Amino acid sequence: MANLAYRHNRITRLTHWVNALALLILFMSGLQIFNAYPHLHWGSKAEPEEAFFSIYAADEDGDIRGYARFFGWRVDTTGILGVQQTDMGPFPRAFPSWITIPGFFWLAGGRRWHFFFAWLFALNGFLYFLYNLGRGHMRKFLFSPYDAGKILPMILYYLRLRSESPQEGEYNPLQKMAYTGVFFILTPLIILSGLAMSPQLDVAFNWLPAIFGGRQSARTVHFLLTFLFAFFTFGHIFMVITTGMINNMRCMVTGWYIEKGLKDSRDEGLTLNPETLEPTEVVSKPESEGLRNEQK
Amino acid sequence: MNKNSQAISRRKLLLGALQGAGVLLLSGCENIFNQLHQNRKVLSLLESVEGLNRRLLRFLTGSNKLAQEFSEKDISRTFKPNGNPPPFTMEYVKNAMSGWPSWKLEVGGLVKQPGQFSLNDLKAMPARSQITRHDCVEGWSAIGKWKGVPLIEIVKLVQPQPEARYAVFYCLDTDTEGNNFYESIDMVDASHPQTILAYEMNDRPLPVEHGAPLRLRVETQLGYKMAKYIQRIEFVASYKEISQGRGGYWEDRGYEWYAGI
Repeated sequence: MANLAYRHNRITRLTHWVNALALLILFMSGLQIFNAYPHLHWGSKAEPEEAFFSIYAADEDGDIRGYARFFGWRVDTTGILGVQQTDMGPFPRAFPSWITIPGFFWLAGGRRWHFFFAWLFALNGFLYFLYNLGRGHMRKFLFSPYDAGKILPMILYYLRLRSESPQEGEYNPLQKMAYTGVFFILTPLIILSGLAMSPQLDVAFNWLPAIFGGRQSARTVHFLLTFLFAFFTFGHIFMVITTGMINNMRCMVTGWYIEKGLKDSRDEGLTLNPETLEPTEVVSKPESEGLRNEQK
Repeated sequence: MNKNSQAISRRKLLLGALQGAGVLLLSGCENIFNQLHQNRKVLSLLESVEGLNRRLLRFLTGSNKLAQEFSEKDISRTFKPNGNPPPFTMEYVKNAMSGWPSWKLEVGGLVKQPGQFSLNDLKAMPARSQITRHDCVEGWSAIGKWKGVPLIEIVKLVQPQPEARYAVFYCLDTDTEGNNFYESIDMVDASHPQTILAYEMNDRPLPVEHGAPLRLRVETQLGYKMAKYIQRIEFVASYKEISQGRGGYWEDRGYEWYAGI
């Protein structure tokens, strides 16, 4: 017995996939840009000896090794970072070709991809934000002080140390924390730290690099936030796979989720319009926008 | 024993297949992106946001805004001189060693009063000193103190005609294939009060590796716009006919003409 629930509206599904593509390309082209100067600094300027993080290659008696250095702590990263084996022998590059866009070493190219998809990311996010804020959807996953107390019980539930889930609405407290963090902290910060690297904007807004501690700090923050995004994405994909991948994927493509213990939305007078795959109320005209049914 | 080795070989086969699939997938992705990047239509689509960047950032900036100026103690100990090697011709070296007696800056193109300026002429003009941050497209920043003639002073003297939209800087340095360095900025950046033709760096004559005798400082853009070893400035209506037509040495090689980001 399938209980169908309409979970994701058209705009959410569209912006989700555009966002996924934009983030992937921003990540990979960003690593290409990083490769042009694979060192991180704090402050306004980059004194070479003051880099607190570096990825580099070193020639050790003809053997080219790759290293990552964080303050005084050095790790041999040959095979992953610092040096890549190519047909023409070892080639020093921080991040390997298969994780950068373009694959070949080309800063100008990386910048072209990065700025194009930065626009797409921002406009797409803006569309999502406006639409879902207007519809009151975002309230469902806004983390509140009330949710803070339910974080621990939720973790215990996931670890199977607690039998009942503390979840009340559509989103559980951990989900709320993750989504609120990504939407209202990570995203604004990664956009601001990116903009803070623009010499033109720094002319207009001297405070912009200053809020991060200087332009080099802004670059460092931008780079580190990238990996928080990656961390979120891995967590997200892990949850998608472990909580019913087919159902989750179908839901983000068609909007419909098979749910146990919920009334079939068809019982509430909803039906699936075979042409648009959007829910429509049986009582209303078939052309009418079915999206508002989701609010039930 | 037979069964055991079979199991191992099966595991090996499976792992090998997985690894192979992974490598194939990744190198496949890499090839797709490389091919997309070399596709003219895709590339021009990607390049299309350059105009948006320029308009948005210039709009947000407004006019009469100055880049942050730092204090003496912020000046970088190391200031990497990127770009082509200095133009070590006989004439350049001789000139550099004797204080640039025969070097002259030529200014022409769409102007009412073309002019020639010796280094002493330039030093006699109103000067501006500024301690500013230099941002390289590679990602690093360095802080230096610069002294020079605001470009607007030259503009006032030569009086560009109304159709002049860009200032093009022709330089003495060349790459290993003999291509001359050149750059261009538009009149918005050319009139910015911090856009100067610098002849001093950190209270000393401009060092050879930083573009002696004269280099450009454009504090609203990235380092590659700031031409070194300048010998001629031309005011033009369009840069389409110059070299490969994209407005500069690095632009001809794929970098953005608008480097305010």
